[in-house]
Amino acid sequence: MEGLLPALLGALQLSAKLILIIVPLVTLFEVMRYLPVFRRAGNVVEPMMRGVGLTRDAAVPLFTGIFLGIAYGAGIIIRVAQQKGLPARELFLMGLFLATCHSVIEDILIFIIIGGNGLAILVVRLGLAVFLTGLMARVWKPV
Amino acid sequence: MSEPETSATAEESIPDIPTRIRTGLSVGFRTSLKIIKVSVPLYVAVTLLKGTPVLGLLGKVFAPVMGIFGLPGEAAFAFVAAFLLNLYAAIAVIAPLHLSPFQVTQCGLMMGIAHNLVVEGGVLSTTGARGGVLTLCRVAIACVAGLLLRGLWSLWEVASSWTMALSGLS
Repeated sequence: MEGLLPALLGALQLSAKLILIIVPLVTLFEVMRYLPVFRRAGNVVEPMMRGVGLTRDAAVPLFTGIFLGIAYGAGIIIRVAQQKGLPARELFLMGLFLATCHSVIEDILIFIIIGGNGLAILVVRLGLAVFLTGLMARVWKPV
Repeated sequence: MSEPETSATAEESIPDIPTRIRTGLSVGFRTSLKIIKVSVPLYVAVTLLKGTPVLGLLGKVFAPVMGIFGLPGEAAFAFVAAFLLNLYAAIAVIAPLHLSPFQVTQCGLMMGIAHNLVVEGGVLSTTGARGGVLTLCRVAIACVAGLLLRGLWSLWEVASSWTMALSGLS
């Protein structure tokens, strides 16, 4: 097994890179998440959200999902969705948007460190999310 | 990504900044540790398999499917890791394969859309959305996105080679 040592070294290098991304990102999120700016952000994005068939109630879970991801943001997504009693149509649209475009910061950073083009990933995901959700919002009319 | 409970108490009380930094660091390190426990063995396994004919043979089997998206057959392993586990597991498989920048970007795009399907499908169902339908949608959307990126990338390459040719003329 003469290949074992370089394999372990490569694995350690990758692990170090991942720690360097995850720890600052999680710490930054912990420090920032109580800022009132994030709670008021709903006002600014409301017009944009209407274009994809969503109301302000969906803003917090939507943006939590976009930036943090579905598993990590699950706490916020589930709680807000239940508190606000989001209708089925809006839950589906939000789910569709998040399916295409979630956890953008972390996901894109980890692919940049192994040599990917982050901008291309972001543009295609965001564009496709807006297009698909906007399309479905027009197909599934609100009652 | 793998700490679903940490965000549950966002509104109850607001801790001071040093506490938040400590929480962030400890959550960050715990998350990293969980990820590393999966990614280190995977990375080592793929690196060692590369020295044997196994990876190449299985790669040939998947080559036609992966080829649609401009990826080598070996990338299929990364997709299995991404679908069942998470992106960190997928990265651990991709890194030793030494793919081209386009191929890494393609993996990042498609896996970014469809990964951790079991856990995240469950989360989406809990909100009252249709988890199963959305999970199928994600795989389909990932395929659409993959075709889209392949097209866009080759357009981009043609355009930039023209720009280079034009700037060479002037």
